[in-house]
Amino acid sequence: MGRAEGAPGHDDAALADALRRGDRDLLPALVDGYASRIFGFASRMCRSAEDARDVVQETFLAAVRSLKDFRGEGKVSTWLFRIAANACRKMRRRGKFEPERHLPLDEFLPEESGHRAPGPDGAADTPEVALLRSDLREALEAAIADLPAPYRAVLILRDVEGLSTEETAEALGLTPPTVKTRLHRARLFLRQRLVEHT
Amino acid sequence: MECRRLFARLSEYLDGELPAGICDELRAHLDGCRPCAAFARELEATVDLCRSLPPRPVPPGLRRRLRALLERETGR
Repeated sequence: MGRAEGAPGHDDAALADALRRGDRDLLPALVDGYASRIFGFASRMCRSAEDARDVVQETFLAAVRSLKDFRGEGKVSTWLFRIAANACRKMRRRGKFEPERHLPLDEFLPEESGHRAPGPDGAADTPEVALLRSDLREALEAAIADLPAPYRAVLILRDVEGLSTEETAEALGLTPPTVKTRLHRARLFLRQRLVEHT
Repeated sequence: MECRRLFARLSEYLDGELPAGICDELRAHLDGCRPCAAFARELEATVDLCRSLPPRPVPPGLRRRLRALLERETGR
């Protein structure tokens, strides 16, 4: 589940050890190994590609400046996502006011059954299935973008980046039960949007 | 287990994060309740689709800019 960890040629634990020792020779490996994942998170959290690039730059700069704070018992990815999530929050505060929205559970209570599951599964992709999958991914990306930011951050870290509940809680400064609650509501929101789409 | 209680724990069930007793109760409910079973399949398909999203390509030049930024920052 989730994305492949670590930098090419360096596993996450080795990189964590090096960072803990303050070994700066591995900073290029940090960039090569994690720029893609941090950009993926930032670009889904920010409203513009320019903001996402700024967040990525702020994240790596802040990481280098706080190398001594990296305790090493956690994963490098969790540490970087925590810095990136803070950078995204700062970016949102500077940006246009986005009213706080909540997703009440009752909004998603099923009224009827019989919808077909969103998305083809199982069979090998024919061109038609590949097209359907690509169309669904676009619909999914649009739905993720419409999630309120606190739910979006949890959903991306858990279901797109493959962090555990505990790692997500640590990265976002939340409790595990809050992560579970937000994740469930975010998934319900996405399911509803995909079912409406298909 | 009534549908409403199941509905609130469905993600934990899919993630294998429920205690064994509640998990068994929920599985038994899904076996006997077609609307809930259909809903659970839809939710699972949604999660699978999230997990299959491809990585977003890093804009050209961003890695190079990052390396240069970090070199400047560390005085190399």
